[in-house]
Amino acid sequence: MSAVCVVALVLSLAVAALAHDDKSDTKPGEKVERSLAVGAEATVTLCVASGTLQVRGWEKNEIHVRSLDAAQIDFRRIDKVKDTSKPPNRVDVMVLNKGTGANPKFDCQAIADVEMEVPAAATVQVQTRDGDIIINGVAGAYAGSQNGDIQIERATKLVEAGSVGGSIILKNSSGRINLSSAGGGVEAINIRAADDEDTFEVGTVSGDIQLDRVSNSKVTLKTVNGNVTMSGPLAKSGSYGLTNMTGDIILAMPHDASFQLNAKVSDKQNILSDFTLKYLSDVTPPPPPVIIKPKTPEAKGKTRETKGKTPTPTPKTGPVIAPIVVERPLPISHVLRRVSAVCGSGDATISIASFGGTVRLKKI
Amino acid sequence: MTRCLDEAKLQSYFDGELSIDMMESVTSHLASCATCAAAARELEEESALVMSALAAEFETSVPTERLRERIDAVVLGDRLAVAEATQKTSGLAAFFSSLLNFGTQRTLGYASLAVVMAFAAIFAVVKLNSKPEETASKQLEPTKTVALNSSASNTNPIPVPTGSNDSEAPKNVVLSKASAPTVKVHYTRPQSIASAAAPTPAPVKLFPGERSYLQTIAKLDSTIKSNQKGMRPSLEVEYQRNLAVVDRAIAATRSAAKSNPNDPDAADFMFAAYQSKVDLLNTIADARLGGGRGH
Repeated sequence: MSAVCVVALVLSLAVAALAHDDKSDTKPGEKVERSLAVGAEATVTLCVASGTLQVRGWEKNEIHVRSLDAAQIDFRRIDKVKDTSKPPNRVDVMVLNKGTGANPKFDCQAIADVEMEVPAAATVQVQTRDGDIIINGVAGAYAGSQNGDIQIERATKLVEAGSVGGSIILKNSSGRINLSSAGGGVEAINIRAADDEDTFEVGTVSGDIQLDRVSNSKVTLKTVNGNVTMSGPLAKSGSYGLTNMTGDIILAMPHDASFQLNAKVSDKQNILSDFTLKYLSDVTPPPPPVIIKPKTPEAKGKTRETKGKTPTPTPKTGPVIAPIVVERPLPISHVLRRVSAVCGSGDATISIASFGGTVRLKKI
Repeated sequence: MTRCLDEAKLQSYFDGELSIDMMESVTSHLASCATCAAAARELEEESALVMSALAAEFETSVPTERLRERIDAVVLGDRLAVAEATQKTSGLAAFFSSLLNFGTQRTLGYASLAVVMAFAAIFAVVKLNSKPEETASKQLEPTKTVALNSSASNTNPIPVPTGSNDSEAPKNVVLSKASAPTVKVHYTRPQSIASAAAPTPAPVKLFPGERSYLQTIAKLDSTIKSNQKGMRPSLEVEYQRNLAVVDRAIAATRSAAKSNPNDPDAADFMFAAYQSKVDLLNTIADARLGGGRGH
């Protein structure tokens, strides 16, 4: 009798061990898939240490995640709603490597390529250290990668993407946009505002900035050493701020573009314009120096919320000079000059600050 | 400036021997030429290496204690020999003959005395001349030192006095002894031996509002360095590359702001460059902390 009990015990342990293996350990190359019903406007986060992340919006109110490299995929419901009968609105997708289990200590530590589908109205927050990020057809996208490239298409409400060394490409999207990369280039094509207040901001250190058909009414582009190229029609009453230190700035606009140009440029560099510009006769004298404090990311956000629309100054009359090619002998020290001019009725405002680069206004 | 910079010009650039115009020209060229930027970095590293290798020698007073001891011993030995010789010989003739007796030890003794006197004379002359030179150099090149030393790559950020009011008139910031040699790097031995042994802190005039940027940068720099885990090479490379870009921008814009003190646009550019550095350091600090899911 006791022998039978021992055999039964051994067998049950063996079966339990096999069952455990089936659940947690996946053979290399075997796909792991998980699905979960969520709210249509759910916020879904996904992060790994290394690996390419692909996110796609679909019509189902469900998230579906799969990976060939991960050992396990789990969902963590993080919304504060107590009623668990309703689908969650905030979900963390936990991608785990073999042996790590569901320990929060190993959150975002997996090395795996992951593909995920989410509801089209969802907002995704994805992060990887070394891999690329590809997002397509979601409402909101927050994407961060240290060295990988980020490509986002058809986002409808907002996009915030940041990379240290990788490039960022945003296409066919709308809403509030904020893109930043230290060393990588930033490219945006066919972007529009979803709301009147939607801003478009790009910042780089050494990466180039290329915009094509960006119609948000407030555009801010900052780079230290990169070139800035913006082409396409200007938003009516739009406000464009372009700042760089050493790169060139090229604005390619339709022949009927109407804008006021306020430029702060080096006396050593040229402003080249294909447009007929009227110099404003009375340029406002520079204000007295003000004490500027460093902006932290939080402070910047506050500024964004509290700042109203920049009023468009009324164009003033002046002598007609076209095209403008300003060339002056190099001065001994670095002297800055202000140029204020208007083209057409001056609908949009273009403010350029270039410490050492050439500014070119081209007709397309 | 389109042609690549030669080594002599780069060395002069690092030694602060170029004119302001030429400094700006070189700075802007370095910002746009990867080859020259790499050469500049290499040169800077070599200079730092040489400085660290010769640091002990520079800090030692001249003549060294060992040399003094040896000279004293030789002089003492010579005196004893003279005393012995005087005892053995007698009379005036013997005395003169002993003076004119140029034996090996005596010759060495005279030579040592001459060396000591020569060193003392040089030391006195140099010390007298070095004071006005130091004062002049402080007045000529104080501002660039701050811009470059405020770099986060620096091991020792500028010690910025706390509790100060930015709205006050520009104040002096004292550079630490450790941070000063990062800018004033020389292959050649410094002109003044005394000043090399104990570099005098240079007073730096800051622009209104600049202090808060320097403080923010110092805090972010320490945050980045406080993380015990080493920065991954790919991140480190990207960080250093972009840091060099913003540091050059700060140096160039600061130089312009300094030479055009009444132009607020020049100061605006400088603050924009500082803000770029703050943004970069924020990004790197976030990356080093891992970011996480952000909730």
